[in-house]
Amino acid sequence: MWFPEWALRSPGSPPAEPRQAIDDGGRVVAVNPSGHAAGIRLGMRRAEAEAVCPNVVSIERDPGAEMVAFEPVVAAIEALVPRLEVAKPGLLFVPVSGAVAYYGGEARLVERVVKEIDGLTGGGYLVGLASGPFAAKHAAARATGEPPVLIVEDDADFLASLDIGAIGSEELVATFRWLGITTLGELARLPSGAITSRFGAIGLAAHRLAAGSDRSVHARSIPADLTIEERFDPVLDDMEQVGFIARAMASRLVEGLAAVGTAPYRITVEAEAADGTTRSRTWRSADPLDDGAIADRVRWQLRAWVEGPGAGVRGGLAALRIEPADLSDEGRQLALGEDPGKDLATQRALSATQAIVGIDGVLMAEPQGGRDPIDRVSWHRWGEEPPVAQRDTSAPWLGGIPSPSPALVPPEPQRLVVEWDTGMPSRVRLGSRWEPILSWAGPWRRLGRWWQGEQSADRYQLVTSAGAFLCEVRGGETWLIGIYD
Amino acid sequence: MIISSSGASPRLISDPSPVPSEARRRGSKVYGHEHSLTPLPALRAGLPQEPPSRPFGSDSPQGGEKQGGAIGLPSLQPGQVASLVGPSGYGLTRLGLAMLSEHAGPIAYLDVRGWFNPLAAWEVGIDPDRLHIIRCDDILRWGRAAAALLDGVDAVYAEVPGGVKDAVIRKLGALARTRRTVLYLRPIQGTVPAGVAHLALEGQAVAWDGADRGHGKIEIRRSVVMASGKTMQGMPQTIEMEDDGSDTVRVVSGMGLAQPGLSTG
Repeated sequence: MWFPEWALRSPGSPPAEPRQAIDDGGRVVAVNPSGHAAGIRLGMRRAEAEAVCPNVVSIERDPGAEMVAFEPVVAAIEALVPRLEVAKPGLLFVPVSGAVAYYGGEARLVERVVKEIDGLTGGGYLVGLASGPFAAKHAAARATGEPPVLIVEDDADFLASLDIGAIGSEELVATFRWLGITTLGELARLPSGAITSRFGAIGLAAHRLAAGSDRSVHARSIPADLTIEERFDPVLDDMEQVGFIARAMASRLVEGLAAVGTAPYRITVEAEAADGTTRSRTWRSADPLDDGAIADRVRWQLRAWVEGPGAGVRGGLAALRIEPADLSDEGRQLALGEDPGKDLATQRALSATQAIVGIDGVLMAEPQGGRDPIDRVSWHRWGEEPPVAQRDTSAPWLGGIPSPSPALVPPEPQRLVVEWDTGMPSRVRLGSRWEPILSWAGPWRRLGRWWQGEQSADRYQLVTSAGAFLCEVRGGETWLIGIYD
Repeated sequence: MIISSSGASPRLISDPSPVPSEARRRGSKVYGHEHSLTPLPALRAGLPQEPPSRPFGSDSPQGGEKQGGAIGLPSLQPGQVASLVGPSGYGLTRLGLAMLSEHAGPIAYLDVRGWFNPLAAWEVGIDPDRLHIIRCDDILRWGRAAAALLDGVDAVYAEVPGGVKDAVIRKLGALARTRRTVLYLRPIQGTVPAGVAHLALEGQAVAWDGADRGHGKIEIRRSVVMASGKTMQGMPQTIEMEDDGSDTVRVVSGMGLAQPGLSTG
């Protein structure tokens, strides 16, 4: 549910009056239809907007005050559907899968919610219903009718027709347009591997959004002990003091999460009053929250509880808890010597290399289990998610070749001419010359899948004065499978 | 353990043929040394037995271990070039990987033959997340790919395909200096043009210990490498290196480097 002009709401103001909300940086962050008709656009500087429309009423944004005003709306919806998430004052996401069944269908649920909100706000809302938050927000933005509701049956179908600008990142959008990709559907139809290889993680995220697969399905598990709690004795009743403490708690939370390589997309703020009552609210963000953003949301929420209608925090604040949820890995602590600027340079260099040698020419490797050196490496293209290891590295792998591993392994076994003397290798042909075998080890027997026609093979390490070689003997022939270079 | 050491003498051990093949085949049993390592008779054969005269100011016969990088060779500064020349099997790939492992940031391996096995890199301590493998067997694209890599990683290990012009390699050396990226060049055939490499390593001989006629497994590689170039301060050295597979490659003898700022006279 989205109130696009929530920041512009002011009791008693005529609806036809052009209004704009200005953020700390002096830019327009919200404008009503009258202002939009007069030529004001989001992102404009205040002076520029006032030059375009001299009679516009400018409102300095105060998210805390907006949240105080928004809290009754949140509470009213929460009474109907629990576990909702606030993205910002004026925008909230409500998980409805359970509620749809309870109320007997999507239409009846929406009708019930709208009836509740109509009486409270007098309109100005948009409702979108979809499988993911990204599609739901864009559905709300396109909702028409009375009440303005749009129910999306298939996220991917709905998103396919949207303009590529919906993904948000201006630079990425400009590049996509330059490449001739103008809709989310065109982006979604491209192979994710190609997008990832060309644009990296940001491209992958955009592709997922375009395909209707929001990141929530990729949420990571939350370590149990990361909730930050602070108890106060005596209880706190000064909002400024609470603000400082919230900042410190947010820093501790982010530090704790960074240690395990995560950052939260959602946080749940829980306040315990002196009389023992507890209130909680979940906040959601499109990007991972940092400590400043978390502290802001805690402060806004407490102010909304204290100053808004309802019981408030009776007797003062006895305890405050911040619980992280829906973790991403974007808050990862950088390693010693790791440089975010260098990472970007590396991505650019590898992308440029990929353009030269082809998408299959830039590779990463991950260890996996196996008996032969070639089996113990799992390859994937750079920029793509590593595949799940097919074989367990910790399994015993009887018959495996012991370390050290050969540094060079031919992609296909190479024929090797070895002279055997009473079952023991005596010399090997290297190019045009014969090299005597100084020592040898093995065999390590590999039993092939005989039911699939595979032959068993014996692997030997052969040592000559020109180096050591790993070879296998199968079907009476010797094959080179590694060079210890 | 100091096994052997030598001053500059490129001819000494390049051809192990003076030692009878039968004797070499017998390995440590023939020579009966008490320690478990093969005494490298073939390698010793041409080396002078006297320790080299150490440069003035060097306080250790293995001075390289104190003054050089983690593996004992002189550390390359950002923008410097090393060359590793010698036949496959002399341990130069592993030596190059050991030198690559000293870089903390992202590194790239330009694989011309498609034979590179990352297991060897992981064994010398290179994190899989830092290692990018680029496969390119096209001579024309090879130079462009190497140049692109020099722009964004800490170090590039580039196999050099046969037929690449010297001018291309010189340009890459200059680009590495500009981008402050360490470049390791490993020619598949031939050598690196003179004056490009700050540290030139040439494989001379190799011997393995641990395997015997069907028993054991290969465990320790001892290789002899000729080191020269600007980082050797004009004094080529024959050095002996040891690689036990579980740890990084290390210099065991022959590195007596002068300390910067001191001179002999």
